[in-house]
Amino acid sequence: MAILVTGESRIAIQGITGREASMVTKHCLAYGTKILAGVTPGKEGQDVEGIPVYDTLKQACQRHNINTSVVFVPPALAYDAVMEAIGNGIKLIVIITERIPRHAVAKFLEAAKEVECTIIGPNSVGILSPTEKIKLGPIGGDKVERCFVPGEVGVISRSGGMTAECSWMVKRAGSGVSTTVSIGGDPLIGTPPKDILTRFENDPQTKACVMWVEPGTTYEDDVADLIKSGGFTKCLIAYVAGRFIEDMPEGTVFGHAASIIERGTGKPSTKIMRLRDAGVHVAENFNDIITILQKVM
Amino acid sequence: MGRVLENVSKEILRENGIATPNFFVVTNEKEAREVASELGYPVVIKALVAVGKRGKTGAVKFAESPEEAERLAKQILSMTLYNFPVEKLLVENKLDITQELYVSITFDYSKQTPVIIASSVGGVDIEEIARTQPDKVIKYYVSPSKGFYQYEAREIWSGLGLKENSLREATGMLWKLYQMFEKYNATILEVNPLAIVADGKAVAAAVLMGIDDDALSRYPELSEKVEMGSDRVWRPLTALEKEVVAVDQADPYRGTARYTEMDGDIGFLCGGGGGSLLVYDTLLRLGGKPANYTEFGGNPTDTKVYGLTKAILSKPGVKSLLVDTNITNNTQTNLVAKGIVRAVQELNIDVKKFPIVVRHPGVNEAEAKEVFAEAGIEYHTDDITMEDAARLIINKMKG
Repeated sequence: MAILVTGESRIAIQGITGREASMVTKHCLAYGTKILAGVTPGKEGQDVEGIPVYDTLKQACQRHNINTSVVFVPPALAYDAVMEAIGNGIKLIVIITERIPRHAVAKFLEAAKEVECTIIGPNSVGILSPTEKIKLGPIGGDKVERCFVPGEVGVISRSGGMTAECSWMVKRAGSGVSTTVSIGGDPLIGTPPKDILTRFENDPQTKACVMWVEPGTTYEDDVADLIKSGGFTKCLIAYVAGRFIEDMPEGTVFGHAASIIERGTGKPSTKIMRLRDAGVHVAENFNDIITILQKVM
Repeated sequence: MGRVLENVSKEILRENGIATPNFFVVTNEKEAREVASELGYPVVIKALVAVGKRGKTGAVKFAESPEEAERLAKQILSMTLYNFPVEKLLVENKLDITQELYVSITFDYSKQTPVIIASSVGGVDIEEIARTQPDKVIKYYVSPSKGFYQYEAREIWSGLGLKENSLREATGMLWKLYQMFEKYNATILEVNPLAIVADGKAVAAAVLMGIDDDALSRYPELSEKVEMGSDRVWRPLTALEKEVVAVDQADPYRGTARYTEMDGDIGFLCGGGGGSLLVYDTLLRLGGKPANYTEFGGNPTDTKVYGLTKAILSKPGVKSLLVDTNITNNTQTNLVAKGIVRAVQELNIDVKKFPIVVRHPGVNEAEAKEVFAEAGIEYHTDDITMEDAARLIINKMKG
């Protein structure tokens, strides 16, 4: 078992003929992920690594019964691509595209909520489950096994780059991951950590979770509330990065666009306090993730 | 976010049918005196700096006469607001205000929708009003796909007790402001005070506007007027920072290089938005002091890495170099190696005396290993963690 992806996932790639998307498609296939179709308007009849390309997602859905889509479409066209996926009844949309204006993001997130469609990202590097051999997006690159081995730890990361590194820390601790989810570094994202944790709670394979936290947003308050209300009962280990930002002038952005402390909210120290108060193991040093995991697993 | 200077935001408001005071932009006190006389007294003189809360800092003043205009202009021009020296002034005619209101439109990131905050008390700090007179403040969430209708604006102001002409005028302005918020992909649009003036009209007396960096390219007419990413600095860019911006912009589509000067002595070349936060925190925790903050990644060219490294190493007082990144998905480590080695050699740095530690696992690392070995630079991949690498540089500096 994994979360979000299963053996039932029927995957299409929107914007498959782009440079990045076609390279990632190759890596996903090499890892063993079954990709059924690709979409790039005007390029129907072509193929990418043997995967048929369609002009519309509708055609891909009719032929292949698609339920999962990975979006690589450039920012200016991404809004339409996501609406196309929602309109065609896709239930899981992973948006890799960075730099989509937030007005557009707010619109498609609202549309997705109305039909109970799950969006991961934007600005995600994807989802990976070593047990299911499913890799959606650039996550893990072409050397997946270096960081991702099957196991019982769920990983959640705001940072794309640190997604692989956190999974590698799990491996270094002698464990492996059930599913790793890169939730995206933008201020507006489809699925915040609390919703991912709820899924991990319901996943029998997952025994513990590791979460990479950055300044900005109130996600961790929601996580603390979830734990206190009994919605997540497994072991959670968190690392909170960017503590130095608190000593910088408020409102300055370091790192991801969402990493901004405004009007006193989103401070790492507050997050650490709230998480600890809810019983989360907050690692003082990043290396401590290894020792804490070894103790709890 | 790109902060929009007030003269530009007021021009945009005017183009969209919203009244503002008449204004001029000047750079010295003589000009201020001239335009003030043209506008007619009294006038408002404001520092034209892209920071909020100018009133509190004394950078907004009223002048009744040419002498006073000149004197106050000179005074404000000598000020520095939040590290930004005041170089320009906005001189406006002072409004004859009968009622001051407040409105801001921004995003509520937990609710994931635009939010309007309106108050029947304007001209003061909204946080203060929200605390002391919460009944005078309304928070209204807008459906991003449905948009915002005039009747909703009317309900907001009516709920705050506005009647007759004020209600009509404030409704018209709020509705237009929301249309602008959408049209310009604004991340914030605040009017404080929203003034009802003696002849009954609504006028945007002071404006704060920010535009989404990711949408700026859609407004070529604004590209020269709005500084992209101006929320990433809290003071004007230094010469070295400008150099790195030039390095980055020379090849904007191949990777990113961001550089901010700090006070320490460890040259900091760390990758990614997340990884950089980790390494910076770790160095501080271990008692080290980074000479700068950096983010680089997205598979940059060796030329870009070279330019960035050179900037990092040319900062006076830099005593070491730490290159520390997460395991990369697509960044080619051999190109990074090439860029770093070129900068180190060109600056005649003796790698036997100047501590350098590199931890950079990822694509093409076998080649990177050769490049670093040849240059005599210590190179790690995933034999150590990111934190271990930070500890190594600190220990090396201790000797």
